[in-house]
Amino acid sequence: MRPGNSVNLNYIRNDFLGNKGVSFALLIVLVLSAFLMATGAMVMERLFGAVDQLFEEARPSHFLQMHKGEYDLEALERFASQHPEIEAWHVQQMVGFDGKTLRWERPSDGESGDLSQSLVDNLFVTPNREFDLLVEKDGTVPEPAVGEVYVPVSVQQSQDLRIGDRLELSSGGTVLEFQVAGFVRDAQMGASLAESTRFLVSETDFTDVEAMDGGRPEIIVGYRLDDESAVPDFQRAYESDAALPQQGQAVTIQIIRLVNAFSDGPVALALVFSSLLLITIALLNARFVIRGTLEDEVREIGAMKAIGLSDKAIMGLYMSKYRALALFACLIGGLLAVVATNLLTQSVQANYPEAPPSPATFLVPVGALLVVYSVVVVICRRVLGRIRKIEVVGSLVHGTTQSEKQTVRRARREARTVRRTSLTTYRGGNVSRRLAVLDLRLEAGQWMLIPFVFFLASVLMTLPLNLFTTFDSPRFVTYLGVPETDVRADVAFTDDADAIREAMVADMAEDDRISGTQTFANVEYQIEGEVGWEGLGVEIGDYGSNSVRYVDGERPAEGEIAMSLLNAEKYGLGTGDELTLRRGEELTTAVVSGVYQDLTSGGLTAKMQGEVPGGADAYVVYADTVGGADAAAIASEYGDRFQSADVVPMREYVRQTMAYVTDAFKRAAVLAFVFGVGVALLITCLFLKLRLASDRPKMGMLAAIGFSTGEIIAQVRWKTLLAAGLGTGIGLAFAAVLGGPFVGALISMAGLGISNLAFIPNPWLTYVAYPLVLIAAGYLGALLLTARLRGADKSMWIRG
Amino acid sequence: MSHTHNVILECTDLSKTFYSTEPPTDVLDGIDLTVGDGEFLVVMGASGSGKSTMLYNISGMDRPTGGRVALGGKEITSLTDAEMSRVRLTGMGFIFQQAYFLKNLNIQDNILLPALKATPKDRTGAVKRVDDLMERFGIAHIKRHGITQISGGQLQRASICRALATEPAILFADEPTGALNSTMTAEVMDALTSVHRAGTTIVLVTHDPACAARGDRVVYLRDGQILDSHAMGAWTEEGAERREDDIFAWLAKKGF
Repeated sequence: MRPGNSVNLNYIRNDFLGNKGVSFALLIVLVLSAFLMATGAMVMERLFGAVDQLFEEARPSHFLQMHKGEYDLEALERFASQHPEIEAWHVQQMVGFDGKTLRWERPSDGESGDLSQSLVDNLFVTPNREFDLLVEKDGTVPEPAVGEVYVPVSVQQSQDLRIGDRLELSSGGTVLEFQVAGFVRDAQMGASLAESTRFLVSETDFTDVEAMDGGRPEIIVGYRLDDESAVPDFQRAYESDAALPQQGQAVTIQIIRLVNAFSDGPVALALVFSSLLLITIALLNARFVIRGTLEDEVREIGAMKAIGLSDKAIMGLYMSKYRALALFACLIGGLLAVVATNLLTQSVQANYPEAPPSPATFLVPVGALLVVYSVVVVICRRVLGRIRKIEVVGSLVHGTTQSEKQTVRRARREARTVRRTSLTTYRGGNVSRRLAVLDLRLEAGQWMLIPFVFFLASVLMTLPLNLFTTFDSPRFVTYLGVPETDVRADVAFTDDADAIREAMVADMAEDDRISGTQTFANVEYQIEGEVGWEGLGVEIGDYGSNSVRYVDGERPAEGEIAMSLLNAEKYGLGTGDELTLRRGEELTTAVVSGVYQDLTSGGLTAKMQGEVPGGADAYVVYADTVGGADAAAIASEYGDRFQSADVVPMREYVRQTMAYVTDAFKRAAVLAFVFGVGVALLITCLFLKLRLASDRPKMGMLAAIGFSTGEIIAQVRWKTLLAAGLGTGIGLAFAAVLGGPFVGALISMAGLGISNLAFIPNPWLTYVAYPLVLIAAGYLGALLLTARLRGADKSMWIRG
Repeated sequence: MSHTHNVILECTDLSKTFYSTEPPTDVLDGIDLTVGDGEFLVVMGASGSGKSTMLYNISGMDRPTGGRVALGGKEITSLTDAEMSRVRLTGMGFIFQQAYFLKNLNIQDNILLPALKATPKDRTGAVKRVDDLMERFGIAHIKRHGITQISGGQLQRASICRALATEPAILFADEPTGALNSTMTAEVMDALTSVHRAGTTIVLVTHDPACAARGDRVVYLRDGQILDSHAMGAWTEEGAERREDDIFAWLAKKGF
């Protein structure tokens, strides 16, 4: 070891021991920053890796078309023969059932449950052979024996099912019983935003399932192509061929991937975002500590310069400490991140296979930590650059880091300030409090750290909270392209849909607990795309009293159509544009009345004003409750009365649709809360520790001229409160005014169908409880640090 | 001679131990001291003898480990922090080696601060008192200045003004000239002498025999105990040199 190194090491050790509190606090903030950054990076890497792994094992379709009703197999064969880019294709037969037809029982302990609360469509299928495979946790493709069923992992988790449980499917008077033989992951329909889920049974059992009444036969036509990038062209070719089955949603591998990534993506993003804020805090903090150290040790620095040490050598001495701190923080943060990533990716681990370790598994978090380390080192070096400007005489004789010129300038500035204030004319009663305010003004440069940190902490805490309350709010439905109502009924997949819908609407009209019934029909139209005709699901009905919000334009009137944001972008349509729709051979023209945000059906929907047509594929009925009637009770009552309809309280619909994302934001919000409050407290303590140390002579003087320790302490607390309150206030204002657009821009970049996110905050939490807790944390810091002042010998403050 | 005065400050068996060191250090060890009303008492001793510690313990800035201190016949060692700070505000004045002032106030406001705190209802009276003091000590012309704009001597005279702003009975000065050159030292000592002549009791800690010559009596501390006391009578300009020699000789005997 070179002598220089050992000097540096000694310096690091002594400095650490000498300033335990300060070094430790700085280390903690750095560790948290490194930890969050590495965790965010690792969660993302694991998630994307896991999605890729699942895609590799399950080989989802590159393009798939769902379809209900008759179809022409020959047309499909002809189409396949005309497209050499198809690597493989198949038609998967499926039978769909409502959740209420499924119940389970555990023979061992008699526990049981049912899926009646589930809003997703439960599809029974047989295993595919070549692609779109449902795979077990170990990656094998199960082959169910007769009487066995493989249940999707999402159902396993929501119902807490175990192997050996009995699953009962009862519909139309027939009951089929299966034994749960295992659980399968579904790349295509397993993700949280998917609206259906697949159960795997044997060929023999499938024949029985098909024969049951109440089941809704459906098919998926799936294609694997040679080249994934050919999907858009392929989709256009498929959709422009009218002979092919198209009564349902078309999905591409890109959408499947996006929907999969949406699960834990927000948490990872929130972590990275939080870590950026924390790094900012850590850097502000480091800057404050370094400047304080230079002030304290200016004579030593002067002496080192005087004996001929170069600026570089002196900087190197100080840098060694911050390098060591940053390095140590990155190591600890990285190790903690490994543990946290395992905890945070539990849902990923359930829904996706574990990705095999790749160079990225190692490089991504290490890269993230390197970024943290480099940023810290670079900024510290810049702050330490002040050492170059320290003059030997100034530092040794006057103990100042400033040059003669700077000192004069500063004295003039201070003189100007004191001329403006005067106690001779001060009319306020409390001299002590007045002093505190004057102090804050003069020492604004140093105290700035507190408002800054509280600003960042309140942003850090408020944004995830606002995201959570927004996604959790009943009003969030307006982002789902759905009006804000209390009850939603879906009538679909049944031959007598028209009759059921009419009966339900008639019953609702009679029901005095219900008002404002709105009915819409889902009709599959075709729209002219770049190459030819493409499918477009349109909701038709009366939008006169519909409360969907429009980003642009307004609700459709007669002869008008409103497009979802993604559809408007896809077809290059804006308000006022005209478009032609085709249904069968019939052509209709409509003018675009407006654009709305939608997260459902891949964000690709449309709404047209008109009479609700008969014979549609599906109907949706919305209703409001009157006079505080219980929406859940009404939904359940109508659900019982109309067995083949799904009637849900809107709150439940939103909850189930968004549950995964909402939970993710909730976790992020809780984490951000803990970190925000913790860091605010920590930095307040650290700041006050240093501040009080340098304020000792002043406090001693105040004590000598008759200020009690209580008054001196109150001044510090008052200053802390003001500074923390200021920062928190600005943070709240920032989050309220700019937070929505900022997060909205992030989400819109993800292409999820939302461009304009207005937060729906919980005012009590966001604007009362959170700021109070945050400011209280700052105050607690002041309480802790000032408590030691009591009972101290005041002369020590002056004598050192 | 001090015993001709009424006693204003009396301490009995005063001790102070610092427990922060290992082993604990006994800095003051059974000090008995009386200060007469209107007396100018000088405390001398080598570095580390406990001079400043004694000053801060008899003035209630610090809490003694043992013994009692009475000011004007009233025991102050058992007062609460708030009560003690009230005593410091109204009954005592302090001057330190470094002139500590609030940077965010001008000279006048700094001096006014304790006066305003002591008599918040009588602002006009406080301002008048402060202005008179500044006039008397020759710093009225710089009252609007910031504290970084004036000389060390002026600053220390401002300290004296501040210490006197509440018209205290006793003034404690801890090496007030320790950081000043000889001209400034003379300025400050002249000011203190004038304060003393006006009737204020002064307890001065100093290393400087020239400063000590201004006092009525000198006590010498060694290892936390009062070793000896030397009475000198009232100071006059003419007798200054003789008194200094006298103190030098006395100190030399103590091995100072």
